[in-house]
Amino acid sequence: MSNIPTKSILVICPSDIVLTGLFEILKGSQAEEIIQLHRGDEIFDYPALAGHFLVIASPEEIEKSSALIRKILSTDGSVQFMNLQLEPVAVNTNQAVNLFDSPALICYKANEIMNSFPANQSKDTNAELTRRETEVLKLLTKGYSNKEIADQLFVSTHTVISHRKNISEKTGIKSASGMTMYAILKKIIDVNDIDTADLI
Amino acid sequence: MELFNENNKLASVIHKDHSLLPVINRLGIKLGFGDKTIRNICEEKGIDLNFFVETINVFHYEAYFPEKRLLDFSVSMVIEYLLKTHKYYIEYLIPENDRLIELFLAANPAESAENDLVRRFYTKFKDEFVIHMNFEERVMFPYILELNGAILNPDLRDAFIKKYPGYSIEGYEKEHSNMDDKMDDLKNIIIKYLPPNYDQNRGNAFLFNLFMFDKDLKNHSRIEDHILIPKVKQLEKVLMSHE
Repeated sequence: MSNIPTKSILVICPSDIVLTGLFEILKGSQAEEIIQLHRGDEIFDYPALAGHFLVIASPEEIEKSSALIRKILSTDGSVQFMNLQLEPVAVNTNQAVNLFDSPALICYKANEIMNSFPANQSKDTNAELTRRETEVLKLLTKGYSNKEIADQLFVSTHTVISHRKNISEKTGIKSASGMTMYAILKKIIDVNDIDTADLI
Repeated sequence: MELFNENNKLASVIHKDHSLLPVINRLGIKLGFGDKTIRNICEEKGIDLNFFVETINVFHYEAYFPEKRLLDFSVSMVIEYLLKTHKYYIEYLIPENDRLIELFLAANPAESAENDLVRRFYTKFKDEFVIHMNFEERVMFPYILELNGAILNPDLRDAFIKKYPGYSIEGYEKEHSNMDDKMDDLKNIIIKYLPPNYDQNRGNAFLFNLFMFDKDLKNHSRIEDHILIPKVKQLEKVLMSHE
């Protein structure tokens, strides 16, 4: 599981011809995922989407469903909109995908917008645990509760919980028994010091 | 991501996403379907077309989960699918995982302490999982099916209420997140923290199987937590309104 927010494109259009065409063309863009919807409210069918989104839809559709789409999609990333102009006479602009744009131009425009997404400020997952986090980890592997660890280290339970969260983010390990395994494999604790039958 | 529809040929669906193979088996389909479309096959086998299409799409693409439509499927259909999934885990996936992890660990007898840890972590996870499935099959699913029966047939209501006074799924409900977390931890430990002197091919074989297991398990949890349990709560409310 990676912590890098993905960049996806959401194309909304009632026409399957347009959807399929844009889907094939946008495979050439830097989007990692392209999702096709006939109507904006079909976004309800995708509750688990995450990352940054470029939404391509008609101006009317954007007006109608941008609030809903923002609400569902912008929990952990940004959402940008680009107009889909299907009238052949529409003014050619960089802010819109036009009916007669070449595939390369469409991808270029989409990439321009996706490049503006905030760079991945992911926490450094390779970072070593701090001294304090290592102490918390050691106590965790001995089976102490958050409260007991807080008492031993003279900090609040809240601080212990926040250390635990950081340990999970840095190591990618969530369960208590997983953390014990990690601590042993990384030689932070000795396997003989703990009761593995109980803790793993 | 392209979703599949009833007019797709099943063979091309499998070419695009072969992880659906066990899913179509559970839905009652074996290989050898030629050029038939999903619609042809479902009609031939008497399989609910919508259930088939939504089930493969939900499995195919994690972000897709049309809750409203999924809640329309009958409880018995969902449970039948979940039971077949359990059977697949018990009869194939878990034994296969056991075999692969042993091969993997046996290739590196020098690291016996580490091997022992990995084995213990996996075994504990597996035992918990098997207990969880047994509980669902012996206690939770029968309760749900009886509740469903009592809704469909008013004659059964009194007997049901007598058997389950204060009936409520909340007592049975078990969070799946704990199991999903342990599965992630196991993958991460093997990928990120195992000492480097292990047998690559056996390690990969074990991980491939584990990834398959993981995908299946998360899908399974999602169906139970977001479809089955909410549906049962709806049914309980309906029954309560008749009391």
